[in-house]
Amino acid sequence: MADRIVVTSLGILSALGLGKEAHLHALTRGHAGLQHPQFLKTFHAPDCLIGEVRMSDEELAISLNLPGGNNGYTRTTLLALFAMRELLQGVDESLLKDDSFAFINANTVGGMCSVENMYFDFISNTPEGDFLKYIDTLDCAESTQNVAKYFGLKPMMATISTACSSSANALILGARMIQQGVVERAICGGCDAMSRFTVNGFLSLKNVAKNPCKPFDQNRMGLNLGEGAGYLMLERETDAKKRGAEILAYFTGYANTNDAYHPTAPSPDGAGAYRTMFQALEKANLQPETIGYINAHGTATINNDAAEGKAIENLFGTQAPYFSSTKPFTGHTLAAAGSIEAIFSIWAMQEGKVFPNLNFENQMEELQIKPAAQLISNVAVNHVLSNSFGFGGNNVSLVFSKV
Amino acid sequence: MMKPVYILSSSAISPQHSFEPENFLHPVKSTDDGKLFVVDPDYRQFINPVAIRRMSRLIKMGIAAGMNALKLAGLEKPDAIITGTGLGSMTDMEHFLKDMINMNEEALNPTFFIQSTYNSVNGWIAVQSKCTSYNQTYVNRGFSLELSLLDAQLLLNEATEREVALVGCFDELTDEYFIVKNKIGYWKKQLPQSRHLLKESNTVGTIAGEGTSFFTLSNKAENSVCILHGVKMIQSPTSAEISANISTFLQQHHVALQDIDLIITGMNGDTNFQPLYQAALEHTQPHTTIAAFKHLSGEYPTASGFALWLSAQLFSTQTIPEEIIYKRGATTDIRKILIINHYILNTASLMLLSN
Repeated sequence: MADRIVVTSLGILSALGLGKEAHLHALTRGHAGLQHPQFLKTFHAPDCLIGEVRMSDEELAISLNLPGGNNGYTRTTLLALFAMRELLQGVDESLLKDDSFAFINANTVGGMCSVENMYFDFISNTPEGDFLKYIDTLDCAESTQNVAKYFGLKPMMATISTACSSSANALILGARMIQQGVVERAICGGCDAMSRFTVNGFLSLKNVAKNPCKPFDQNRMGLNLGEGAGYLMLERETDAKKRGAEILAYFTGYANTNDAYHPTAPSPDGAGAYRTMFQALEKANLQPETIGYINAHGTATINNDAAEGKAIENLFGTQAPYFSSTKPFTGHTLAAAGSIEAIFSIWAMQEGKVFPNLNFENQMEELQIKPAAQLISNVAVNHVLSNSFGFGGNNVSLVFSKV
Repeated sequence: MMKPVYILSSSAISPQHSFEPENFLHPVKSTDDGKLFVVDPDYRQFINPVAIRRMSRLIKMGIAAGMNALKLAGLEKPDAIITGTGLGSMTDMEHFLKDMINMNEEALNPTFFIQSTYNSVNGWIAVQSKCTSYNQTYVNRGFSLELSLLDAQLLLNEATEREVALVGCFDELTDEYFIVKNKIGYWKKQLPQSRHLLKESNTVGTIAGEGTSFFTLSNKAENSVCILHGVKMIQSPTSAEISANISTFLQQHHVALQDIDLIITGMNGDTNFQPLYQAALEHTQPHTTIAAFKHLSGEYPTASGFALWLSAQLFSTQTIPEEIIYKRGATTDIRKILIINHYILNTASLMLLSN
């Protein structure tokens, strides 16, 4: 039997704070991290709620021992550095030498959060200025490169961008590269900082809620955006055991499929989401009834929740396992959502808890199932399914199993 | 070690006549403003006529090359769609960003936002080919195509039956991108006629380009044009590291340097990077022909896709056009090709192919 892939270290930063303790505190007490943006300078600040990380760029930089001001580091990279620093605590540096390990990062708009404030300098006749420090920061690999450089690492690097499923895809690639012997270990995940570009993009699509989002609710009005970063270290079970590392979870199944339906809308019958979850369970060699908790994509847009809800009902029946969307806590952190929610899913198993789907009030007419509206404790969760569905029809489901 | 993969078909839209390969280099397209834009084919043959009206050029380029690669392989639907892009649709990004600033974040057109997402070409090809299986997009500078090829190789090695992956890359040049990167010395100060770029290798800078290339790759040899044995990515390479990596890479594939008939290099006329190629080519055997291509494609993050497309063509034609020869070797047959490419943002890659 092939060596199993295990998770041995985590790092996470979101609107709920840094690390496990801060997150569990908020997730179990129902403290949402949404606010009218304070750090993002947008005209829409009074009209939208964002899962904003509660630190300015300056504060992030100082905490990372970087110079303040225009230091050439984008907020995207600063968020990634924070989460990565947490992951690397307790990881022996000798494990991360050379290209026997991969850093697989994911991102939707790179350093747009910086570039959008200086683009007219970029294209002006002005040859010099502080903007030059950011001139190579627009692309998604900017954060990947700068994270590796900051920690003095020289891994094999990859950056994925498949919209909202990006970091879930990073985890899949890491597992596959380890299974095929390309690398021994992989740190996988994603990061996204809020930008006006993203806020306005989603506003132009008219799927942003003014109030706290209500996933799987009949009266849902759209999503709230968020920012953050989450990383997981993957390796073979035998390698982890050999070095005496604590195994946090088994990464047992995954699937990447495409709706092939529409550039931004899912197939309304949920066929794409069904296929993805089905294949992930198949890969994990698990029956649907073994799943104890589904961390749903649950963006609270009309389309997603209808399609995802139907797919869950079709695959699991009307006695579906506990499911919830944690996006009312963090906002939709886009490229980081897959890895952040993978971490939440692992904690659900470790803690025997189902985190609540905040703001749920009204049963959706087209569904018989409903999300877990309150925290559920003392529940045996042995296998979890985590969904991430994105623009372009890019769907991913991940399965983790308890140690 | 992973098994090699087989290239069944290839299609490229580039600044040269590549989409109809029988016209390749007839005539050579050359410019003197440092910008090489693609020769547009008739996109309507490949794209849904309703959707095409709102599509920006990169989206059209990507879909057309992708659908054409499928058509050339006689396939309607691949088993996977994997792409790489360094920049995505710059036109859409610029449009949405400038509108957002100029219009104080009001009344924005979502089409530009949607098309600026890096995976939108993938999404469209999936819709058009009805491909509901594996779908992936890499955005990793000079490794964007290379990572796509590696992913495809993983996927085809994992498969138990015959599978075909559609793999491609796309990047576009815009006037604004040219201005932006000019500020950090990407382009030559004295711009040469592009086709003479390599004769101007004594100054810094290069010329800008764009293009898209798509390939169908399979784990089975039937109907294949050539074999892709492997891809090697080298981060922040020194001259010594490139040379050392070439040796190890070839050894891993049980190939000696003297077995290589043709080396296609990404030399771009920039004195900063010429030493890397000189070191890499130091031990080349006299019979090996050395070629270059960036005077035809220009420089861009996924320019290695043009070299890979060119390789697939040369295996079929068995003729090396004069226009790409940097140093002629004695070889007459093209059996093994090594691609060595360096990109400005400090990456180098190697690809080994045989017929």
